[in-house]
Formats: sequence, structure tokens, C-alpha cells
Amino acid sequence: MDLLLQVLVNGILQGGLYAIMALGLALVWGVLNIVNLAHGAFIMLGAYISWYSFTWLGLDPFLGLPLTAVLMFFVGYAIQRGILNLVARAPMFNTLLITFGLEVVLTYLAQLVFSADFRTINPSYSGRNITVMGLTIPTVRLAASGVAILLTLIMWRFLLHTRLGRAIRATAQNLSAARLYGVEPRHLYAVTFGLGLALAGAAGGLYGTVSQINPYIGATLTAKCFAIAIIGGLDTPLGVIAGGVVLGLIESLATLYIGPTFADVASFGVLVAVLIVRPSGLLGRTA
Amino acid sequence: MKALRIPLLLLVLVALALLPLYGSDTIIQFGISTLLLAVLAQGWNIIGGYAGYSSFGNSTFFGLGAYGVGIAMVQWHLPFAAGLLFGVVLAVVFAICLGIPVLRLKGHYFAIATLALAQVMAAIVSNIELAGQNIGLVLPPLNNDPLFYELSLGLLVLATLTVWWLTRSRFGFGLIAIRENEEGAVVMGVDTTRYKVMAFTLAGLFSALAGGIQAYWITFLDPASAFDITLNVKMIIMAVFGGPGTILGPIIGSFILSAISEFLSSEVTSIAGLFFGVVIVIAVVLTPRGLADVARRFRRSGWRYFIENIRMHRL
Amino acid sequence: MHTLFRHGLPSAALALAMSLGCTASQAADNEIVLGASVQLTGPVANTGRYYKDAYQLAVDQINRKGGIEVGGKKYTLALKIYDNQSDVNLSVRQYTQLVSKDKVNFLLGPFASNFALADSAVSEKYQVPMVQGGGASDQIFSRGFKYVFGTLAPASNYFGSTISMLKQLNPAPSQIALLYADDAFDVSVAEGTRPLLEKAGLKTVIDERYSSNASDFNTLLSQIKSKQADAVLVAGHETEILNFIRQAKSLDVSPKIYSFTVGVPSEDFRKALGADAEYAFGMTAWLPSDTLKDDWFGDAAQFAKAWGAQYRYEPDYHAASGVADVEAIVKAIEKAGSLDPKAVRDALAASDFQSLYGHIAFADNGQINLDQVVIQVQNGKPAAVFDGSKFMRDAKYPMPDWAKR
Repeated sequence: MDLLLQVLVNGILQGGLYAIMALGLALVWGVLNIVNLAHGAFIMLGAYISWYSFTWLGLDPFLGLPLTAVLMFFVGYAIQRGILNLVARAPMFNTLLITFGLEVVLTYLAQLVFSADFRTINPSYSGRNITVMGLTIPTVRLAASGVAILLTLIMWRFLLHTRLGRAIRATAQNLSAARLYGVEPRHLYAVTFGLGLALAGAAGGLYGTVSQINPYIGATLTAKCFAIAIIGGLDTPLGVIAGGVVLGLIESLATLYIGPTFADVASFGVLVAVLIVRPSGLLGRTA
Repeated sequence: MKALRIPLLLLVLVALALLPLYGSDTIIQFGISTLLLAVLAQGWNIIGGYAGYSSFGNSTFFGLGAYGVGIAMVQWHLPFAAGLLFGVVLAVVFAICLGIPVLRLKGHYFAIATLALAQVMAAIVSNIELAGQNIGLVLPPLNNDPLFYELSLGLLVLATLTVWWLTRSRFGFGLIAIRENEEGAVVMGVDTTRYKVMAFTLAGLFSALAGGIQAYWITFLDPASAFDITLNVKMIIMAVFGGPGTILGPIIGSFILSAISEFLSSEVTSIAGLFFGVVIVIAVVLTPRGLADVARRFRRSGWRYFIENIRMHRL
Repeated sequence: MHTLFRHGLPSAALALAMSLGCTASQAADNEIVLGASVQLTGPVANTGRYYKDAYQLAVDQINRKGGIEVGGKKYTLALKIYDNQSDVNLSVRQYTQLVSKDKVNFLLGPFASNFALADSAVSEKYQVPMVQGGGASDQIFSRGFKYVFGTLAPASNYFGSTISMLKQLNPAPSQIALLYADDAFDVSVAEGTRPLLEKAGLKTVIDERYSSNASDFNTLLSQIKSKQADAVLVAGHETEILNFIRQAKSLDVSPKIYSFTVGVPSEDFRKALGADAEYAFGMTAWLPSDTLKDDWFGDAAQFAKAWGAQYRYEPDYHAASGVADVEAIVKAIEKAGSLDPKAVRDALAASDFQSLYGHIAFADNGQINLDQVVIQVQNGKPAAVFDGSKFMRDAKYPMPDWAKR
């Protein structure tokens, strides 16, 4: 029983990290209808920025999140304005292809610049844990989950209750009407994508504290984020929390009861099942 | 001009078929790779180019074909042809069983579902003992590249003839109708589900045969290489670059992109991958409808063609 | 006009492609070319580069010391190395190119068993000897191939010395957890380890295969803690083991002893973990000791110094193994007195010489047999602890709880 509880806790904590990883993807997809196949590569980029800040500037990874987020925001703004805006009104398929191309380019550039060596962000408190009712809870994972939930809630509030948030949603829903209201869509799209990448960057910073980074983690992370976003549902930013926790639990339980090599079968199997049965996800509005 | 087309094609075909006689070993190997990629692109063309359902998971069929040959030859000691047949059966069963639910999805959901299927398949196969789990299988070596070359060429011809037949058949018109306006097609009485599944199965069939040939040629397969995700993007970009929804477009796209990639691979090794990424980005922005379209419109609009494309699609 | 464009294009592509075949590289008349496809980029490049560096250093040193003499004629060694980007398929094609287009004389191997497994099919197909020092899986050598030789000791025996040591520890561990990745090498290790554990009378409470490149060991670690395994054996890759140890710390899992098939001997690994690397056990078939004499480098200690001076990082057994591969080919050429692939292959099979890597001799199946020395990270450095039958120094055992370190 203890083992099961510990495994459940592990899964939920992993879920928190998963949520922040997928948040940027879900935001850009749900709001702008841009499916970003390079999302994982941007998480990787954020992780490297965090690593360099930690190693060169001694900046704590948690405290340095804003810096990483701001830098990634500008990267995102530039990419959307310069490249993705060019295909925004083309069939969705073009965006899929172009973002895939970006993923390939980013991975190779990362490998050229950062080398293939793996790196870790290891602040002095990295291995600490607290014991609650006989369960061991790693503090870094707990903090990462906390940050993730916080950012998700902030994003939710932002989209629903602030002027900029509403402007973004309006533009996505009706481009011409938004233009009539004086919204500059190119700028707004770029801002939104920038936000998405800022979140990806923050996720990368957190990811670097619990796992090692190398230029090739992008593809697997993208796949996971897709699973999380779809399982949770794209209609609300809160979906990624549901999706993240569910995925974390599925992987942990599959590992415990079937075997570690079945974790991927379980998670992608659930993704396929959700797509077939309920594509709008757990928290999706339409049945 | 049109009258010249068929003899010209036949000439190219004969030149290609006779390549093993005058080409070096490296050229033959390059030829096999390129021909197999062209088959994949042509297969994708059926479901993605004509039916408009962009599958990002045809690598699943490729892998099934590869494992069909692998398991049949290594575990059951059957001949190559039996292996190919087994692979095709696996692919067809998969296409029908999973095609029906997945083809109900629209747009990018379909694309992602097929991508997810590819991942699931790779994960499942890496747990199957018969398939050698994650270690894979080593097939009996056969040192006969010209044979593989001719097989691949034959397969490409078969795939292209199928696409050509498609353009003249009711099935093909049905697919195009589905692509242009699916609801309208349903109203007009087209059995969209059956047509979509048939298109998916055809694409799967060719991909599986290509996978089987590749497996025997390389003499080695494991889940990562058999269900290689990058294959999907390669086949799509080749079809799209050449011209989706045309008969020769995917072939032209594959030949050109493969040639450039091979050249880069041997001269400047790590840049080859980067090159593909850059090509994709540029091609999608400047030539989203492929070279075939460029060829058609360039005469009229000249360089403005590219700018028009951008203007049409940008925000 | 436009049909010309449409049909001209494939023909043009063909012509371009055909021109690729016409540039055949001509080796200089007095050069012996060794070819290899190594992982210089891609996920395993951080170990792959050891091999390129090793081959280069060996070739340079041998040339500096006068090259090789065959049939009264002097030859220098040259290398032709391709980057396979950690892609097995690409490496197979590159080896094929090395043999059929570049016409190299002999082949050196890639890193990793799954690569060696696939690439040796090429050397066998074209009957060109390949000496590889990167693949230890028994599968490579169980196919009856005659043209592949390996300088890494068999995977199945990697934990052999460790298990002998377990029985001599006090208090002896009794419950073993065996974790292994699902690639060729690690599966081989596990298959060999199981009978060794049984023979030693040790009980295995956890025996789990995990996916290569897994990053989340939390569930497995929780199981280890819950089943109270006191010795944990992990056969995996550096990045996985790195994650394992860090997650063990954060989940407060500290068995009495844990031992890993890779990582401990390499500098990057210990640096990445910092103080957390302490107490970890591993094994190596090679240590840079001055008792290992070598015809070109003097001895292993001098080799290690030369390597450090040239490349600015410490060599480990991968590096030594790579150098041994080059030396084995050179010795075989000299012994055969010719460059004929078959003659050299036969000479390789009969290899018997001392090198900085140890005694080079291949069993009938083509694989070397060396004992693994058990090493442990003590005060940040790898220390040789157990040589297969007796202790060379005290082991820091049992491992204290994380909180008490």
C-alpha cells in the first residue's frame, strides 16, 4: 500500500512538471490554432538558457525563470513575426510542416552550439526531500509542480479577465472583426506565440533541475506535450493540469503494474484512445 | 509537346532500369534509398495529396512491412516473398482496423492521431519478443544490390501507375471530392468512409512493401529505425515539394531532395539534417503547392509567383 | 517548354547523382587507409568522440614512430572517418560506402553494440576485417561471422567481478535489484548476470527491463526502497544512470551498494554528479597503469598523459580500446606481411601481443576476454577496489544514507 501511495505521489508530482511543459503548446494551439511541432525544441532551448545562467551567472534556476521566460518571449515574437505569420492563413498542414522544419533546424543548431554533451542544473538543494506520512517527496519536484500550477492559473486568469487576453482570444476567433476594432493581428499573434515560448522556456528551466539536458530531448518532449494537451483538452488552460496529472499517473502505474518498457505504450495508447473517443479531451467543452 | 511526354518518360525509365549496368556501387545504393523514399512519397500522395488527409504516421506501415519481412525470415525461416506478403497483410489489417476510427478525425487532429499511432506501434513492438524487442533483428545478408534496386524501381512504377489509374477512376474523383469538400461529397453520395479507408490502405500497402525491401537490404532493423518518425516528414516534404496531388510530383521531389541531401551528407556531414529543416521552411513559405505548381504558373507570373504565394497566406 | 522542365528535372537530378559516383577517392600509393563511421553528433556523441580521438591519436603516434613496413615498403596510416549522427542506418550505409566507394583497406568500429551488430554485417558481406572496440554484446559474436573482432570484454561478464566481490563484503548483501536498458548491450549484460547471481546464491527481488533513454526512474526507485533491495545493479547508459542517481538522492533511496556498467570511469559523468558520485561502483577492463607496456606509447600511464595533453580530457577504457583496435590491425598487417584482407583477417584471429590496453588475443568467436576490475568513486576519483578475486583496497561500504553524507 505504501508503495502504491508513493508511486501515486510520484506520478502527481511528475504531472505538475508535465503541465507547465504543455501549457505553452496548449495556449498557442487552443488560441491561435497553431500546432507547434517544435515545442519540445523550445523547451530544450529554455533549459539551456537556464543552464547558462546558472553556470555563468550563478543564477538560481527558480529565481532565473523570469529571465529565461523573457528571453524566450523575444525569440517567440521574432519567429512568429518573421516566419510563422507568413503561413498563418494557409492550410494548417503548412504550419505543421514548417514547425517540424524548425524543430530539425533548432536541434542541429543546438548541437552545433552547445555540443552533444549532456548537462545538468544542480543547485545545492537539488536532492533534498521532505517526508510526509511515510512518503518521500522531493522538494525540487514539489516546487516545480507548484510553479507550474501557479503559472497555469495566472495564464487562465490572463486569458479570461484581462484586456490583452481578451484581445488575443477575439483575434483568434474572428480575424476581420478584430481588425475592425483596431487590433493589429500580426503583433498580437506574435505576442501570443511569444507567451507560449516564454512558458516553454520556463518549463525548460524547471525540467533542467530534475533531468539532464542535451540537444535531442526536443522530439520526445514534443510528443509528451501533445499527449498532455490533448488528453487534458485545449479549451481551457486548466486542461494541461488535468492532462499532466493523468499522464504522470498513467506512466507511473503502468511502470508499476506492467513494466517500465510499457510506459510509452500506455501513454500514447491513451492519447490515441482520447483522440478517437473524445478529441476535445477531459476538460473539453464539446462532447 | 504532350505527345512527347510518354516516350520521354519511357526513356527515363529504361535509363533508370539499366543503371546497375553502368553505375557505381554507391550510385546503386543511393538509387535504392531514393527509390524507396519516392515510393513512400507516392504512397503518401494517395492519402495526403489526393484525399487531403495528411497522415503523419505512414512510417507505421513502413515499420510493419519491415517487421513482416524480419519476423518471417528470421524467426520462421520463410523466403523473402512470404515476408513481404506477411508485412502487407499486417499493414492492411492495421489500416482498416485503425483507419476507420482515425479517419473520422479532421484536419490536424488526424495528423496528430497518425503520429501518435506511429509512436504507439514503436513502443509496442519494442516489447514483443518475436520481434526481438528493442534490440531488433538481424536478417540473413544478401549481397545483391542490383536486385534490390530493380525491386525498388518496380515498386515505384507500380505505385505511380496506381496513382495514374486513380486520376482516371471514380475512386480518384471521389478522393478529390473528399479533399475539396467532404460534406459536399457525402451529399453527392460518395461513400467517404470506404474511400478514405481504401486510400489509407493503399498508402499503407506501398509503404509496407518499401519497408520490407529496406529491411532485407539493410539486413538490420530495430523499432527506432523501422518506425523512424523522420521518415514521415521526409516523405511529406518530398511529396509537397514536388507537387502533392500530381502523378510525378512526389517522384521529382524525392529525386531532387535526395540528391542534394546525399551530396551534403558525403561532403559536409552534419549539415545534411540542417539542410532538410531549412528546405522545409523555405518550401512551405515559397512553394506550398510544390514544384509542379511552380512549373505551371511560373510561365505566367515569373518571380511574382513566390511573392503571390506569401501574400496569399500570410497574416 | 514546361514538359521539358518537368521531365528535365528528374534527368538533371539523375545526372547530378551520377556525378557523385564518379569522384572515387584515390588513396596515396604508400598509405594504408582505415575507415570508420563514428557517432560524432547525435545522442551518444559524447562517448562516440572517444573513438575518433583514439583512432587519430593512435594513427598519429604510429606514423610518428615510423609507420608500418610491409614487404620491404614503408607505409603511413591514414584515417577516413564519417559521422553517422548516432543513426544506425546511416552508419551501415557509410560503412558500405567506405568499402565500396572509398575502398579503404580495413575497418575500425563504431561505438555501441547495436551499431557494431549492424555494421559488422557490412564487413562480413564485403569480407573486409573490422576491429571494433565499442560493442561488447555477445550477440555480435554469436553469428559465426569471421570478419569482425572486438576489443571490449563480453557483456555477459560485466558484473562477474562485482558479484564475486559482493560475497566478500561484510555485511554481505542478500537482496539484489537488477535493472537494465532494453538495448543489445544491456540485455546481454542482464542475461549473463542472472546465472552468476544464482550461482552465488544471491536472491533477486527486482529484475526489470526499462526503455533506453528513459529519464524517469521514480517508480523503479520506489520499488527498490519498498522491497528493501540492498544491492542494486544497473546496466544502462550514462544519461540514464545520471538520472537514476540524482533521483535516488531526491527520493532518499540508498541501498548498501549500487554498481553501474558505465559512467563511473568517465570524467564527465563524475563531474556532472559532483559529490553525489561518491560511493558509486562500476567496472573497467582498463586502468592507466604503467604496468601495461606498449610498443608505441611506452605504457598506459604515458598514453594517458599524451591523451590529456592532446585532448584536454582524461581517457577511459573506450579510448584505450579504440587505440588497441588500430594497434591490432597494424600488428596483423605486419604479421601477415601483406594488405590482403583475408591474410590480415587470419593474422588478426591469431593476434597475441601486449598493448597499453592489456593483452590482445581474440577467442574463436572474435571477441577479446579481459577481466573487469571493480572500481569505486572514492574522494571524487575512480579507485580500483577488487580485481576479480581479492581486494586491492578497502571498499567504502556500506553506502551511508543520503542525509548522513
